[in-house]
Amino acid sequence: MKLFRMTLRAALVALRRNKLRSALTMLGIIIGVAAVVAMVSIGQGATAAVQAQIRSLGTNLLMVIPGATTAAGARSGWGGVSTLTVGDARAIERECSAVAAVTYLRRQVVQVVHADQNWSTVAQGTTSTFPVVREWNVARGRFFTAQEEEGAARVAVIGQTVVDQLFGVGQDPIGAIIRVRNVAFEVIGVLEAKGQTTWGQDQDDVLVLPFSTAEKRVFGTQLFNVVDMIFVSARSTADIPEAAKQIRALLRQRHRIPTGEDDDFTVRSLDDMARASETASRVMTNLLFAVASISLIVGGIGIMNIMLVSVTERTREIGLRMAVGAKPRHVLLQFLTEAVVLSAVGGGIGALVGIIGSLLIAHLGGWPTLLSPVAVAGALLFSAAVGIFFGYYPSWKASRLEPIAALRYE
Amino acid sequence: MRRPLIRIENLWRVYTNGAVEVPALRGVSIVIEQGEFVAVMGASGSGKSTFLNILGFLDRPTRGRYLFRGRDVTALSADERAEIRNREIGFVFQSFNLLPRATVVENVELPLFYGPLPYAEQRPRALAALAALGLSDRAFSYPNQLSGGQQQRVAIARALVTEPSLLLADEPTGNLDSVAGKELMELLVRLNVQQGLTVVLVTHEPDIAAYAQRVVHFRDGLIVSDQPRGVHP
Ligand SMILES: Nc1ncnc2c1ncn2[C@@H]1O[C@H](COP(=O)(O)OP(=O)(O)O)[C@@H](O)[C@H]1O
Ligand SMILES: [Mg+2]
Repeated sequence: MKLFRMTLRAALVALRRNKLRSALTMLGIIIGVAAVVAMVSIGQGATAAVQAQIRSLGTNLLMVIPGATTAAGARSGWGGVSTLTVGDARAIERECSAVAAVTYLRRQVVQVVHADQNWSTVAQGTTSTFPVVREWNVARGRFFTAQEEEGAARVAVIGQTVVDQLFGVGQDPIGAIIRVRNVAFEVIGVLEAKGQTTWGQDQDDVLVLPFSTAEKRVFGTQLFNVVDMIFVSARSTADIPEAAKQIRALLRQRHRIPTGEDDDFTVRSLDDMARASETASRVMTNLLFAVASISLIVGGIGIMNIMLVSVTERTREIGLRMAVGAKPRHVLLQFLTEAVVLSAVGGGIGALVGIIGSLLIAHLGGWPTLLSPVAVAGALLFSAAVGIFFGYYPSWKASRLEPIAALRYE
Repeated sequence: MRRPLIRIENLWRVYTNGAVEVPALRGVSIVIEQGEFVAVMGASGSGKSTFLNILGFLDRPTRGRYLFRGRDVTALSADERAEIRNREIGFVFQSFNLLPRATVVENVELPLFYGPLPYAEQRPRALAALAALGLSDRAFSYPNQLSGGQQQRVAIARALVTEPSLLLADEPTGNLDSVAGKELMELLVRLNVQQGLTVVLVTHEPDIAAYAQRVVHFRDGLIVSDQPRGVHP
């Protein structure tokens, strides 16, 4: 214990005598540890944010989209006319026992005008079950009813971004008349603000219209009853796989797909998406971690290099210490302690820099970061291990010197 | 009769530089009693430093017997030799060998660091050793702020701080002017007489050797003469 305390003190004294060199050596470790801590927190933050995003789309949610999905998740056969229809959606609601509710939508980019303001946004024609299935309610006013949807009423529910763009401060959008492709709509509700998705899409930049109204009066298409997407909510989370199975069987039958041929649609549950994105972001996190670890190892080699230089440079000092009574293990411990102190102090500063860095990234860059105590502790331990590993050889080399050979060293 | 501090019998030291063998000591025998003041003289390359380094456990003989306080020390481990260097021996070098970036008192403390003295007593002991050599006011200076004579006195304070029985000095006056050299020798004589410190000193200057009680001459790795002087000049 006494030996340890005294060795530590001697190491600190020696490092203080070479301030600049100690600082530069530590810089390698500081950068390495800071990189590990920051990278892991960015990776984990992104993972958590994507997960939260996906969950926020609605629980028990399944999505049916046109086009087949290959095993790798890429969609093929996409780009033609959608193969999904309103009939498909209604059939799912009617015939699949594991399904609780269904909504569908069709969308197009449109220009919205209010007074002298205009704004380009995405118009979604959908059904009155949209708030239930998507778990997305109005913040003010109300959503349109099934009757309004059936009767092609000229009512609209708008997202917060559209409110901000078309209406001045203090102006109440409820009851206002907006024009979409020269058709007048009464605004009856404003959707809850959802903010941006992690991939940077503004979810509140949306105009929701009854499906029939949108189809007949706004989208100006000859293809009636075609939908871009069907949202299904399963009866419970446990029913999601069963619901997916039922939907698939039903749609294959309705689309008359012979056995052995690929689906012309894809059923995806949020769970699948969450898992896929989790895998993707774990790969990213690991990649970031690997890159950052390489910089830690480079930092470790920096320590070894400096310790070797230091041993060579201080050979006479080692000889002198031996002449006044230092044992080989004193010399070994002294240099090893110097290396470990360098890397541990560097690791501590690096962890701090990494923490501050990831907070700054979160604050200034608006990136979601998630500080991981495991990553911080791991980086610290790893840097101390780097110190021992890369410090051992030079220290051992120093301790093996004969006193007189060391003293005579030029 | 006093028990000899050092008894050396037929000591050889052969350096091997690749295939070439250089015998620096070729069968040296000598007995040094406790409290003696011995000057080792001889031409450059005659083996004086090699001899002193073996006396001080900095180097190991190739052959021969070395008894320190009656104990055969030729087969000691590195740790045991380190302990003897720490407790029994003080070394003074021609080039002082002070740590340049450590203060004077830190330099003097260095041997205590490897010894049994508790940490709290180390600084006072080092300061006392400096005071004994009149260096109290320079304790917190750095070596390069001191004159050569002062630096060599710091080196002596460092050699004596563990209260060893044997002081080995390899041309300690070699880098000093004659006044500083004279002062240093008077100091060594005083330590020898007043404290009974055994001193073995290498020099090639007869003026310096004249301070010793006994002068040993080396030539080509052998002792060619060994003259007792009896009294200090
Ligand atoms: N490390 C060494 N390797 C090889 N030869 C050496 C070494 N040290 C000393 N010698 C040789 O040993 C002989 C004695 O050297 P040394 O003891 O230093 O002499 P002195 O101190 O009397 O000048 C010299 O010939 C010298 O060249
Ligand atoms: Mg010499």
